[in-house]
Amino acid sequence: MPVFGLIDGNSFYCSCQRAFEPRLKRKPVVVLSNNDGCAIARTREAKSLGIKMGDPWHFARKRPEARPVVWYSSNYALYADMSRRMYEVLQARVPAVEPYSIDEMFLDLTSLPGDLYERCKNIREAVWREAKIPTCVGWGPTKTIAKLANGLAKDHARLEGLCDLTDPRIRAEWYAVTSIEEVWGTGRQTVKKLQSMGIETVSDFVTLDPKSIRNLLTVVGARVQAELRGQSCLALSDVSSSRKSIASTRTFGRLLTEWPEIREAVAHYAARAAEKLRAEHLESAHLSVLIQTNPHNGDPWYAKHVGAAIEPTSDTRDLIRHATDLAQSVWLPGYRYFKAGVVLTDLRPAGAQGALFSTRAPDLSSAAMAVMDAINARFGSGVVRPSSTGLRRTWTPRASLLSARYTTRLDEIVRARSW
Amino acid sequence: MAYQGDRTTGFASPTADNIEGTIDLMAAVLDLRQPSRYPVRVEGDALVGRGIKHGDILVVDSALAPRAGVVVIASVGDELRVCELTQRPDGWWLRPSGSTKPLQVDDDTDVSIWAVATGLVRTDV
Repeated sequence: MPVFGLIDGNSFYCSCQRAFEPRLKRKPVVVLSNNDGCAIARTREAKSLGIKMGDPWHFARKRPEARPVVWYSSNYALYADMSRRMYEVLQARVPAVEPYSIDEMFLDLTSLPGDLYERCKNIREAVWREAKIPTCVGWGPTKTIAKLANGLAKDHARLEGLCDLTDPRIRAEWYAVTSIEEVWGTGRQTVKKLQSMGIETVSDFVTLDPKSIRNLLTVVGARVQAELRGQSCLALSDVSSSRKSIASTRTFGRLLTEWPEIREAVAHYAARAAEKLRAEHLESAHLSVLIQTNPHNGDPWYAKHVGAAIEPTSDTRDLIRHATDLAQSVWLPGYRYFKAGVVLTDLRPAGAQGALFSTRAPDLSSAAMAVMDAINARFGSGVVRPSSTGLRRTWTPRASLLSARYTTRLDEIVRARSW
Repeated sequence: MAYQGDRTTGFASPTADNIEGTIDLMAAVLDLRQPSRYPVRVEGDALVGRGIKHGDILVVDSALAPRAGVVVIASVGDELRVCELTQRPDGWWLRPSGSTKPLQVDDDTDVSIWAVATGLVRTDV
């Protein structure tokens, strides 16, 4: 019988901040979305002060009860590195790890020797000690059960961060007291549909006739039910093959109206996407650009997403040219733009197949890009960049509460006083 | 063209089978790619007796077990400190360099070991 585990960082972004600042240990901490917009990660202490997911910062911070909260802009350089640490600590301890999101990883725990509970406990302690991230671990015979177990471990303090749902009798007990809303893969619509039929708990759901589930919720629902019954339908997936697109999309620090500013931002996003592409040794054969106004501030709604097939490339200069050409074709004066992005699809291994009539010199291109990437890796992202991506960059998102990038920048590493 | 010890135009190099690369200090000593390794900047000269000066970069490892006499980064109340670790029958203690009293490593005193120092980099020699 397979055993899957799911390990998940508690308030991951907040925990990354806490890892380097002991003063935050018991404080309510909130991390804000891009542009310091709204709350996207909260510690338990912040939740108990009534800070909700998505609360806009400029309102929430003025509430008297929010006074003790320590706010942070999202520091993605730090979070990415801490996620890498978590992944590597796990990789050294189990046969396979599937990073499901930045802070959630599926583990292959099938036929490991020894006591599984002790092992999961050790894994959790190792992630805490080495990667400095507090976590919860849930496990069971399917991914859906592991995910549910993880949620239980998180919600019930008495489980001390660990929940074992391998035993069908223990599963049955939890299923009877757990709402179907907690099940991975059941969206709001599905839950509504089920609740309207009087199906409230996971037990109600698993005891239904599989045929009627299939009629009601298609094969997707039937698969969720089978998984909850202990029949594994979803295997651990391989990330390297699952990459379908690379996107670089952001809201601007302020609303932009002028073409040169938008052009600069789009060029920057194209350059970022190109870097990601090269880091994975891929080329893209399709590029699309999106620009849009803000739907929430009363401005007239304007959103365009246009794409074009391109000669496969990972060269920043080519991608910038394509992206800015496309952006120019949809940019209209008179709107206040709020967000833009560049999406690369139709990805393939670099240099796999030259175009029949290539218009570029691929060797020269990859040499130039390799030099640029190496310089940026050593001296910091964006040290060498095409001038079309802007020098002043007045459109960069606001990040007024950014902490140091403790693990990725030498001049920002953590400081400790000699005693 | 980069120097290649096994390619000479006159006489064959007697070293051809013994070419090794330059020493990679990053991989051999510091190895900050390990998930448990962190760089820490030292502030203050309190540990100058141990050869640790203000501005030094300590490479610390959170996976290493504490041992008596090692230098650790400790979390003490609201701050991180660099100090020496000692062992007594009742557990681990942080030994201050000055005349202040030692601190016991304990959840009750809010003192914990954050990582153990494994190397030091000084750029200001």
